[in-house]
Amino acid sequence: MASATLPAISGSVFEALQADLTAALGADGVLAHLDERLVYECDGYVVEKSVPDLVVFPTSTEEVVAVVKACNKHNVPFVPRGAGTSLAGGTLAVGGGVMICLTRMRRILEINIRDRYAIVEPGVVNVWLTRALAGTGLHYAPDPSSQGACTLGGNVATNSGGPHTLKYGVTVNHVLGVELVLPDGTVVEIGGVTEDAPGYDMAGLVVGNEGTFGIVTRVIVRLSRDPEAGRTFLGVFASVEDSAAAISGIIAAGIVPAALEMLDNLLIRAIEDAFKFGFPTDAGAVLIIETDGLEAGQDREAEAIVKIVEENRGEIRKRIPWRTRTEPDYVAIWKSRKSAFGAIGRLSPSYCTQDGVVPRTKLPEIMRRIQAISKESGLRIGNVFHAGDGNIHPIVLFDERDPKQVERALDASHQILDACIELGGSVTGEHGIGVEKLSFMPKLFAAEDLATMVQIRKVFNPDDRCSPRKMLPTGAGCIEKTHPGRHASA
Amino acid sequence: MNWPLAPTDVPIGDGLYAGARECPSSLENLCQLVRDHRAAGSAIYPQGGATALDYGGVPARPGVVIDVRGLDQVIDYPAGDMTITVEAGMTVQRLTALLAAEKQRLPLDIPFADRATLGGAFATAVSGPRRFGWGRPRDQILGIQFVKADGQVVNGGGRVVKNVAGYDFPKLLTGSLGSLGILTQMTLRVRPIPESSAVAFASCPTLEDAAEALERLNLSETRPVALELLNPSAVGWYQSRGLPLISGAWTVVVGLEDNQAAVSWQVEKLREELGSLGAKLEVLSDGHADPAWDALMHFAVQPPGRLTLKVSVRPSEVPNLFGELDSGLWALQAHAGNGIVWCHWIGPSEGNSLADLLPEVDRVRSLAIRGGGTLMIPHCPTPWKERLRVWGEPRSEWPLMARIKETLDPEGVMNPGRFLGTIH
Ligand SMILES: Cc1cc2nc3c(=O)[nH]c(=O)nc-3n(C[C@H](O)[C@H](O)[C@H](O)COP(=O)(O)OP(=O)(O)OC[C@H]3O[C@@H](n4cnc5c(N)ncnc54)[C@H](O)[C@@H]3O)c2cc1C
Ligand SMILES: Cc1cc2nc3c(=O)[nH]c(=O)nc-3n(C[C@H](O)[C@H](O)[C@H](O)COP(=O)(O)OP(=O)(O)OC[C@H]3O[C@@H](n4cnc5c(N)ncnc54)[C@H](O)[C@@H]3O)c2cc1C
Repeated sequence: MASATLPAISGSVFEALQADLTAALGADGVLAHLDERLVYECDGYVVEKSVPDLVVFPTSTEEVVAVVKACNKHNVPFVPRGAGTSLAGGTLAVGGGVMICLTRMRRILEINIRDRYAIVEPGVVNVWLTRALAGTGLHYAPDPSSQGACTLGGNVATNSGGPHTLKYGVTVNHVLGVELVLPDGTVVEIGGVTEDAPGYDMAGLVVGNEGTFGIVTRVIVRLSRDPEAGRTFLGVFASVEDSAAAISGIIAAGIVPAALEMLDNLLIRAIEDAFKFGFPTDAGAVLIIETDGLEAGQDREAEAIVKIVEENRGEIRKRIPWRTRTEPDYVAIWKSRKSAFGAIGRLSPSYCTQDGVVPRTKLPEIMRRIQAISKESGLRIGNVFHAGDGNIHPIVLFDERDPKQVERALDASHQILDACIELGGSVTGEHGIGVEKLSFMPKLFAAEDLATMVQIRKVFNPDDRCSPRKMLPTGAGCIEKTHPGRHASA
Repeated sequence: MNWPLAPTDVPIGDGLYAGARECPSSLENLCQLVRDHRAAGSAIYPQGGATALDYGGVPARPGVVIDVRGLDQVIDYPAGDMTITVEAGMTVQRLTALLAAEKQRLPLDIPFADRATLGGAFATAVSGPRRFGWGRPRDQILGIQFVKADGQVVNGGGRVVKNVAGYDFPKLLTGSLGSLGILTQMTLRVRPIPESSAVAFASCPTLEDAAEALERLNLSETRPVALELLNPSAVGWYQSRGLPLISGAWTVVVGLEDNQAAVSWQVEKLREELGSLGAKLEVLSDGHADPAWDALMHFAVQPPGRLTLKVSVRPSEVPNLFGELDSGLWALQAHAGNGIVWCHWIGPSEGNSLADLLPEVDRVRSLAIRGGGTLMIPHCPTPWKERLRVWGEPRSEWPLMARIKETLDPEGVMNPGRFLGTIH
């Protein structure tokens, strides 16, 4: 385990640190008892666990600074945490130390409609901002499936995507600036409400840093104009191959859908069981295809999509025209999609979700490979994912009581990721490297690339005290994993 | 090493010349040249189409030019994926032609496309009116390859449209102005060429009317991809290019790109929305709109005078800023939806010295800073650069930038003097 390589905190340091933190935040802001801290031993990635020595809940930038300074004084590592929905172990307190939970910094500080930005604290949950903007004509575009729980600070740290980021871009395309508490306690304003500030694109660099640059204490996001209208289609196919061909066909036809999601038979049945939306349980695969924009332009795109679906032996089973996104069919279809993972539990005692990317024209190929891997391992593998981006989320089902199955599940996941690399893709489209995928970094990047990334991390975080052992392999050898994840995603 | 005593045939901008121009034909060759020249104590000035050599601070020490134009191959163009991987020396015009064959494009406004290279465009992070609807260079780049001052090749990002593995080097290098390394290859996200386009000029009698039009357009039922404002002096420049603008008017420009049905509908909608405000509307569609798009992207890079300012403010402050700048002395075009204002000095030749203009620049700069904005100077005589502070006031993030520079280029080999005052 990663934690074994960092020294534990001694009793006297622990007490002095606890005293300093309590002085800064009040007793109410510090969790010290083991039963209270146990919840924080892992996030959505449950394979590795490490209980933080202390958990703190600052309510302001000043308090974050005080916490960071106390940790430095006592030479203790710290790790930021939002809602803990990371699926890559991003919040794992490797080697213990202090976990800084940002969930009490939860205010929306400003919404500016004319200048199209919002300023929020990092603990604001993604969907709170969506709700606050309802009716203004503007929205915040990135909509991870976990949006009901995950925080904007976590979204910035992981550069989150979502079903609608296909057309509108991921988090980094919508962040104008952040306030960052560096690991030495300095507060830096990065970017701002105006564009093109001279210098390097620091906001672009900071988004997706997975907590390794410091603590984000404020986020300035760009707001986008709502589309006037849209169409959401349910396309039904006999096989996964046909649906994958339709996806390639749509992209190749020059249509950029607002969303293009795929579910295979396994997932269709799980969801239908749970939500009764009317998905055909005998279908090999379905696509949720959404276009949006001006009503005047919608029919043209709709026609083209129907044609491509039919050309690929598919059938349009539902056609939902919408204006407000509150239409019952619209709500139902997206609820089904975004809750897909909740439904998996009905199928299997344990499952692990992967996050890989292939060029979109390689979707049919990766689907064939996944089927082969499933056959070979004797494990069922389901699929529900952001197809338009080539961002796959295969779900490997297994029984964790059987150590042989566990091993095969882990093996299958890794084979899928290797196949993504082989096809010219990546091992993560949105969940991040965290601790989970450290061993894949040398497969994606050359030694010189990784060395340069370490150099950049050192600019922000010279002692690796903030989120140690994340994202970049230490070179001390890969962490051996004995157990794949159980939870799921996207 | 010293500056050449007489001008050579290798200008590096600001009236300075390089000792040599190296034209590598392969990546390996380029790396070797970087290592050799660094070892010899020479600075390195990357160069592409040489259309923006004066941009930035004054080159700080003698060196050589490494001309990237020999690296101009397509590495991979899987059109069905809507991505392309190309070498950085390729001209924008060639890329445009390649993409057009597949009915695709890179939705960026890059002036002087016949000469400008992709390396230069991404090094300068150049942008134009379409940024309102389509984003900036940072939003189109997926992967990057660059050569550091020590001659090592570094890759970041990847070739797929969604990828969060590792730090975002494509973003860090975009707009780094050659100060962190030489861009050699990039993977870009491309888009389908829109079926139809239109440019609408809405002429308003007063600045207040124009401000109201912009206000109205913020939540318009249309979805412009460009939203610009011109002052009456800028209007003159557009007229000189044969475009149908009305003399003396404050002109709001709306750019539309979408399918045919959506563009025609929007044009009608604009007539309604802006007509009710008393603006006169002139609309150029499809082929007729092309010269208008072209003019809109070239205004900024064709300074009529000695001084050009680029001011960033909040979009809502653009009209105020226009009000603060005398139309007799300044020709102004704003990417109004983004709060970017290009200001060309057009004052009389007397009253045109540094001493005359310094207080005016300081005044505009403090106006910008007051609202959280910035002012930089893309164009002015070389001797003014230091005094006018090309890159503006230091901000709290500058020390971090300086540390990044020191880390990747500890000896200050790459484009010394060009970037932020604190980056040498
Ligand atoms: C059911 C489910 C569905 C999901 N769907 C998607 C999806 O569609 N798209 C997607 O991209 N992801 C998805 N995820 C993954 C996850 O929700 C995202 O990564 C999310 O952005 C994490 O936010 P969080 O607040 O939970 O952060 P956490 O899990 O608490 O932390 C994530 C990382 O960010 C760092 N961090 C958190 N807050 C800060 C801060 N203020 N400053 C600095 N660093 C910080 C942490 O150290 C950690 O490295 C899903 C997860 C689940 C469980
Ligand atoms: C503020 C501004 C002012 C401009 N003014 C003008 C103008 O007056 N006239 C004009 O014709 N165009 C101008 N341009 C537009 C210019 O055409 C574009 O920026 C263009 O894309 C530059 O490409 P290039 O190949 O000509 O670059 P070059 O002019 O060759 O180089 C421009 C800058 O980028 C660096 N650079 C170039 N290639 C690389 C590379 N491969 N790797 C690293 N660094 C590199 C150079 O060192 C130099 O600092 C301007 C642009 C901006 C942003």
